[in-house]
Amino acid sequence: MSTPEEITAQRARWMTVAQKAGTPLMSVLLAMIVGSLIVLASGGDPVAAFSSLWEGAFGNAYQTGETIMRSTPLIFTGLAIAYGFRAGLFNIGAEGQLFMGGLAAAWLGIVLAGLPWFVILPVMLVLSAVAGALWAFIPALLKAKVGAHEVITTMMFSFIARYFVSYMLNGPLKAPGPGGTPGTIPISAVLPPQSTLPKFTDLFPWLPPNNAHVGFLVAIGVAVVVWLLLKYTTVGYEARAVGFNPFAAQTGGVSIALTTVWSLCISGSLAALAGASEVMGVHHRLSDQFSAGFGFTGIAVALLAKNHPIAVIPAALLFGGLAAGSGFMQLNANVPDKLVDIVQALVIFFVAAESIITWFIKRRQKEATRNA
Amino acid sequence: MKRNIRTVLALLVVLSLAAVVFVGCTPAKTATPSTPAAPPKMKFGMVTDIGGLGDKSFNDAAYSGLLKAQKDLGVDIKAISSKAMTDYDSNIAQLANAKFSAVVCVGFLMADAMSKAATAFPDVKFIGQDIFVADGSSPNMLGVQFKEQEAGYLAGVVAGMVTKDATFDPRVNADNVIGFVGGMPIPPVQRYEAGFIAGAKSVNPTVKIISLYAGSFEDQAKGKELALSAISQKADVVFAAAGQTGLGSIKACQEKKALFIGVDVDQFLAVPGTGDVMLTSAMKGMTVAIADSLKAVKDGTFKGGMSKVYGLKENGVELAPWHDFESKIPQTVKDAVGKAKAAIIDGSVVVPEDPTKA
Repeated sequence: MSTPEEITAQRARWMTVAQKAGTPLMSVLLAMIVGSLIVLASGGDPVAAFSSLWEGAFGNAYQTGETIMRSTPLIFTGLAIAYGFRAGLFNIGAEGQLFMGGLAAAWLGIVLAGLPWFVILPVMLVLSAVAGALWAFIPALLKAKVGAHEVITTMMFSFIARYFVSYMLNGPLKAPGPGGTPGTIPISAVLPPQSTLPKFTDLFPWLPPNNAHVGFLVAIGVAVVVWLLLKYTTVGYEARAVGFNPFAAQTGGVSIALTTVWSLCISGSLAALAGASEVMGVHHRLSDQFSAGFGFTGIAVALLAKNHPIAVIPAALLFGGLAAGSGFMQLNANVPDKLVDIVQALVIFFVAAESIITWFIKRRQKEATRNA
Repeated sequence: MKRNIRTVLALLVVLSLAAVVFVGCTPAKTATPSTPAAPPKMKFGMVTDIGGLGDKSFNDAAYSGLLKAQKDLGVDIKAISSKAMTDYDSNIAQLANAKFSAVVCVGFLMADAMSKAATAFPDVKFIGQDIFVADGSSPNMLGVQFKEQEAGYLAGVVAGMVTKDATFDPRVNADNVIGFVGGMPIPPVQRYEAGFIAGAKSVNPTVKIISLYAGSFEDQAKGKELALSAISQKADVVFAAAGQTGLGSIKACQEKKALFIGVDVDQFLAVPGTGDVMLTSAMKGMTVAIADSLKAVKDGTFKGGMSKVYGLKENGVELAPWHDFESKIPQTVKDAVGKAKAAIIDGSVVVPEDPTKA
C-alpha cells in the first residue's frame, strides 16, 4: 500500500501527463467515434468516410500540400489566440486583425513593387504584423485603461476591419477591369511575383505538384519564437504571470495594464500574419472572401493545443486536414461536407468537456483534502 | 484515481449506448443501395460556390440541372461543396482526377479556377455557370450566362406597379419606395439590380429604389438586417438577389409586413411557408441550360471556347407564377408584365446591365 501522499503525488503526475497530451488526443478520438456513429445513423459508411477523409488530407503529395496550405493560417491564428489565453485574454477578434494584416500585405505588395524579394518579403511580413498589432492596440488600451472587456471590443473591431476591407476593395484598392476599364469585382490587383511567398514547388522543382507555400515554414518559425518568448523572456513571463493570477503578478511588481497592452498587441500581430501569408502565399491578391473564418477556427486550434505554441502546429494540421479532406470525402464516401463541421464541433466539445471533467476531479480532490 | 477512471469509462459507455439507441431508431431505408456493376457510366460533377447546396437559390438550381441530366441521360452525378475560395482549385481537380467527363463550376467567382483547370485537364469539359468565357478560349470550357437584367426588369415592373396601388394589399404604403438587397456587387447581381431599377421606373418614374449590398451570399442575418433597413425607410416591396443571404430578407418581410420578390428559382416552391409575402420570383433557367450543356457532352456535340447567353428570347429567364397572389394581382400588373416581355423580346426595349445607368 502506498501512503496517501504518494497517491496524491501519483495522481497529480498522472493528471499533468494526461492533460498535456493524452486528453486532446482522446478528444479527437472520441469526436471520430461519435462522428462515425452519426454517419452510420444517417445511412453512410463511417469507414469509407474517414478513410477517404484521411486520403483527402494526406493521401498523396497534392492533397498533403492542400492540408499544409490550409494549416498555415491556422497556425498563426492558433498562436494568436493561445498567446492571448496565456495572458488571460480572449482575443475573439483575431479575424479582424487577420483582415488588417491581409489588407496591409496587399497594399504593401503593390506599393513596394520594384524592390528585390529579399527586402520586400520581410518588410511586408513585419509591417503586416505591425498593422495587426495596431488594430489590437485600441481594444488593448480600452481594456487596460477602463476595463472594457476584450471579448466585446475585439469582436466589434473585427466587424469594422471586415467592412473597412470591403470598402477598400470597392474603392481605392479595386482592380481595374480588362483593358483599363473600371473594375467590376471587389478584388485587388494581383501582387507582383517578387512580393509573393513562393510555393515549395517553385523552390524545389523536383517536388510533385502541390499548393503548399513557404508561409508554412514561416509559421513554424514563428511558433518556435512564440514558445521561446513565453518561456525565456520578461515579456512572456509577465504575460503568463498576469494570466495565471493578475493580483499576485501585480503584487510582484508586474504592471497589469502594460502587460495587457503588450499581450493583446502581440496576439494581434500573430493573427495579422495569417492574413498576410494567405494574401502573399495563396491568393496573391486581396478579396473579401479570402478568410474561411481562420480567426475563429484558431480558437479551436488553441483549445486543442492547450495554448502551447508548439502543440498549435499539430492541432492546426488536424483542422487543416479536415478541411482539405472534406472534398475527397464528399466525392468518394457519399457523405455530406457537414460531417467535417460535425467532427470539428465534436473535437471542441470533447476538449471543453475534458476541462469540465478535470474541474470536477480537482474539486473532489480539494474536498477530499479538506475532509482528510 | 481508479474511481475517476471508472467515472470516465461509465460516461463513455452511457454515451455509446445513447448513440447506439439513436442509430437503432433511424429507419434503415435511408441507406442507398449500391448500384449494380453495369458498364461504367459517364460521370458529371459540380463544384458549388461558397454558399453550398441547400441555398434554395443559386447552387440548388444548378444542381437540379445535374439531377435532370442524371434522370434523362442515365449518368452518374456528384456535387462537392466549397467552403472557401481556396477550395475551388482542389475540388475541381478532385473531380477531374476521378475521371469525370464534365465539371460544372457554379459561380462567377470561380472563373480563375475554372480556366486554370481547363488548361490542366484538357480531356475534361468545364461548364461555368455565370462565368464569361471569351471567344477563342480553351475549347473544353463553356460559359453559361443569363440576361439577369431582363428578369430583373420584369420584377421591377411588378414592384413599381404594386407599390403605387394601395388598394392591392394593406401592406402597400403611400410612400412609393421599393428595396433591393444584393449579395455581392458582382456583375450577375448588378444586372438584376439594373433591370429592377429600369423596370420599376418604366411604369413608375417617381419611384424611389433603395439598393443595399450584404457583401456575402451566405449571411442570412445580414440579409434580414438590410431588408429591415429598407423597410424602415418605407420600402413595401423588397427584391433580394443574394443566394442564402436573401432567405433572411424573406423573414424580414414576413415580420415587418412587406412584400417580397424571390430570385434565381421559384422561391415560392423552394422556400415553403413564404407564400404570404412572395409576389413572384425572377428566375433564370439554370436547370435547363446546364442540363442541355451536359447533354451535349454526352452526345459528343459539346462546343466550348465561348459563352452562351440566355435571355427572355431564348426562354432562359422568366418570371415565376403568382401562386397565392394569382387572384389578387390586378390585371393591369399582369398586362404591364406581358407588354414588357413582348417589348424586350422584339428588341424595342434594351435593358441596361449597369445599375448606375438604369
